[in-house]
This record gives sequence, structure tokens and C-alpha cells, in this order.
Amino acid sequence: MAARTGTVAALQAALAAEQAASYGYGVVGAHLRGAAFNVASADCIVHERARDALTRLIISRGGTPRAAAAAYQLPIGVTSTADAAKLAVDLELEVVASYVDLAAVPDPRLRALAATSMQKACVRAARWGAKSQPFPGLAP
Amino acid sequence: MAEPTRRVMLAAAAAGSLGLAGCKGIAALGPLPNISPDVVTLEHAIEAEELMVATYRAAAGQLAASGNGQRLSAVVTAIQAEHQAHVTRLRARLVLPPRLARTKFAAGRPSPLPADSHGIIGALVADERAAAARLTSQLLHAPPALAQLMASIAASEAAHVIYLRRAGAA
Repeated sequence: MAARTGTVAALQAALAAEQAASYGYGVVGAHLRGAAFNVASADCIVHERARDALTRLIISRGGTPRAAAAAYQLPIGVTSTADAAKLAVDLELEVVASYVDLAAVPDPRLRALAATSMQKACVRAARWGAKSQPFPGLAP
Repeated sequence: MAEPTRRVMLAAAAAGSLGLAGCKGIAALGPLPNISPDVVTLEHAIEAEELMVATYRAAAGQLAASGNGQRLSAVVTAIQAEHQAHVTRLRARLVLPPRLARTKFAAGRPSPLPADSHGIIGALVADERAAAARLTSQLLHAPPALAQLMASIAASEAAHVIYLRRAGAA
């Protein structure tokens, strides 16, 4: 029972970050044009799909997915393409961190999901201009 | 996700052995206990990262020696430092009683690298991808805290591919 509670809590944490990223990419895309806009749109879809998949996983384990907020306090104000890229970096790194607990749950399939989600988010962060770091998602 | 750390678990095991030995001397300690699969997993991860450090060191040396590879060499050296940080953090989890500690790690020698910078970067990209995939497999049954560390390292290595390609394309 405790393991299931911990698993659902870890899924909820990842869901919250994916919901925030889905919202945030709307702001990112609004400040981009051309190829960069297309990349942001594709990344937004990735997060929306992850959000939906996590919602299903929580329900399948007897949990109630937390509803997304109507709006989110973004970490930075966005007024330029550079700001938009920086916001995308922040969103992706938040997603990386949000999956760390899921990498420690008993179910190896969820661990694999967490690890691959962290890798993909880190790759997207790098593409948006993040600096390399040795331990993404963990305290320094 | 609180769990006994590897350090705690090993310390407890050692304390238990000594407690059982009482005052009968070191001979009463009996045969060496088997090294647990978790420790073997951790040792393999450390060895793989040490091999990565050696490969990057060789790559940086080759690139620096080439005519126009100074900039690439700097990027490779920066990533090498991150792999060294991986080694350090993984090693911090491996605390073995002296009787169990291996005399040395049998880290493999890096494979020969291609002669040209394009080939070197391609080889490093392949190594990073393989490392991320290997860690993803290893963490599935690792102790929770080690699994989290491995997931983070795998994410770092997946992103290295982007930095290497960007540097190689510039």
C-alpha cells in the first residue's frame, strides 16, 4: 500500500511538471516564428502526450490525477525569442527534476519511463540552449 | 523515497560480522560474504564511467594535437570533467570493508579512436548513447537512490550527444 501511494505521488509530481510545460510552451511558441515555432509546437505536443499518459497511469493505480491549474506563474517574463528559449530550458529542466522520484519506485516499467523521460527532456533543454550539467534533476 | 544508503547497509553488515566474531580474533570472522548484485551493478557503472573518462582524455589529446581541433578539444575536455564527476559521485556510494574491497578496478582500456575529428566526435556520440542505454537498463533493479543517480547521469549523457554534435558541426 505504501509503495502504491509513493508511486502515485511520484506520478503526480511528473504530471504537474508536464501540465506546467504544456502551458508554458504555449507562451514559448507565441514568441517564436518559423522553424523555432515548429520545434516549440512539437515539444508542446510531446508534453501534452506525456501529461495524458501520466493521467492514465494514475487512474489505473486508483489515484485521482490532480487537475491542471488555469494558469501558471512562469519563472521568467517572456518578451523576446531569447526569453522564449530560456523559458523552454527552464520548463524542460523542471520536467527532468519531476521524474526523479519516479525513477526510484518499485515498478521497473515506471523507472524506465522516468529515465527515458528525463533523457528526452534533457536533450530538448540542450537544444534550447541549456548548459551541460553532470547531474540534471538532482541537487548539486 | 527514504532508504538505507549503501554506506549504511555495508556498515551494518560489517558491524554484524564483528559482533558475531566477539573476542575470538579475526579468524572467527569466517569466509568472506558474497558481494551483493547491487554492489556489482555499482562497480560496473563506475568502471564504465572510468572508461568514458579515459576515452575522452584520449580524444581531447588527439584533437588538441590536430591543426584545427583546439575548440573541439575544449568541448571534449569539459564533458570529460562531467564524466569524472559521475565517477566521483558513484564511487562515494561504494564503501566496502577492506576485506571486500577489490585490489583495483579493472577498468578497460579505451578503444582506438578514429584519426579525424569528425570520426572522433562520432565515436564519442556512440559511446554516450550506449552509456545512457546501459544505465537505463541497470537502474531498473538498482536500489532506489542509486537508480535516481543513474537516471540523472543517463540524462546528462543523452544531452552530451547534442553538445558534441553542435561542436562538431560548428
